[in-house]
Amino acid sequence: MGCYIERVVCEREVTHDAKELIPDPAMRRRMSRVVKMGVMTAVECMGGVEHIDRLDTLVTATGWGCLADSERFLRTLIVEREQLLNPTPFIQSTFNTVGGQVALLRHNHCYNVTYVHRGHSFEDALLDARLRMLDGDGKEVLVGAFDEQTPSQHRIMGRMGLFRRVQDGEGAVFVKLTTTQRDGVVAELTTLDFPTEPLDETSCRARYATTDRTALVWNDYAEAGCYPTASAHAFARAVRMLSAEVPEVVVYHSYMGSTPTVIVVRWVGSLV
Amino acid sequence: MEKLIEELKQHLIEELNLEDITPADIDAEAPLFGDGLGLDSIDALEIILILEKNYGVRLANSAEAKPVFYSVKTLAEYVMQHRQ
Repeated sequence: MGCYIERVVCEREVTHDAKELIPDPAMRRRMSRVVKMGVMTAVECMGGVEHIDRLDTLVTATGWGCLADSERFLRTLIVEREQLLNPTPFIQSTFNTVGGQVALLRHNHCYNVTYVHRGHSFEDALLDARLRMLDGDGKEVLVGAFDEQTPSQHRIMGRMGLFRRVQDGEGAVFVKLTTTQRDGVVAELTTLDFPTEPLDETSCRARYATTDRTALVWNDYAEAGCYPTASAHAFARAVRMLSAEVPEVVVYHSYMGSTPTVIVVRWVGSLV
Repeated sequence: MEKLIEELKQHLIEELNLEDITPADIDAEAPLFGDGLGLDSIDALEIILILEKNYGVRLANSAEAKPVFYSVKTLAEYVMQHRQ
C-alpha cells in the first residue's frame, strides 16, 4: 500500500483569511497564536474547511504544545493564588487542541491522535498515519506538526546555551496523504526510519539513497529555525526539491542530538 | 450607571476577545447569550471572573445567573447593587 503526498503546506504559505479558514467566530476568538497557526495551516492544506469531512485519520505532532496558553494559565495560578482561573487558556493549553479544533470545525469524529514525543513527534505522527494506511484504516489522512516560541521559552532555552549555533524557531506544517496515486499527488513517502545511532552523511546516503541523484536534507533549520518539530519544515522543503533532476530526497534529523530520524520522499514522476 | 455599562462592554470585548466589535456595537439591553452577542457557557465563566476580579461581585447562587447575565444592563444593575 503506497503512501502518497498530495499537498504540503507551511504556515507562511497560508494565503486565505482566518475568517474564511475558521468560519466560527467563537472558535476563532478563543484560539491562541499557535492554535490559529496550526488550524489555518491544516485547513489550507485540505483546500478549504468543507474538505475536512473527507478525512478518516488526523494525526498531529508537537514538542512543546500550546506554550503561550500554558504559561498564561500557570501565571494566573500563581498571581491569583489558585483562585479565579480563566477557563479558556486551560482548555486551549492541551497538546491536542489543534487536532481537536480541526475536527470540531466540521464535527468530524475520525481517528484523531496527537504525538508529543519531543524531537521526533512529527516522525511518530507520520509512522502512526502510515501504519493506519497499511492496515487499510487510513485512506484520507492529514498529518501536521506545530510548535510556538514564547519570550519565556526563548529566554530559558537561551540561558541553557541551546541557541549558540542555531536560531530559535517555530512553525506549523501539514501534509495531506493518500493511499491512491491519483492526479494531484506530488510525491511518495517511501521510507520512515529511526536509526538506533547517529549517522554521518556518507553512511546515511549508503543506507537510504536509491539513486545517484538523491539529495540529502541534513538537520535543516534554515527555513523556520530550531524547534522540536522543525523536521516537518525539512520534510516540506524536501518535497518541494523533488523533480526529474532530483528524484529522491533523504531527510535526516536529530533535534538537539536526540534520536535520529530518516524520511525518504520520492518524486512520483520517477515511478512512471 | 452609563459609565459602568461602558466599562463592562470594554471588559467583555477584551476578556472574551470579541473580534471586530466596539463598545458602540453592543446594545446594552440586547441578550448576551444566544441571539445577541452569541456568547456561550465558557463565556459565562469568563464573565463571572470579570465581575469578581474587577468589582468584587460574586454570584450568591447559580439560580441568579440567568436574569443577571441576560444583558450588559442587567449585569451593570447587579454590580451596582452588590459591588464592594
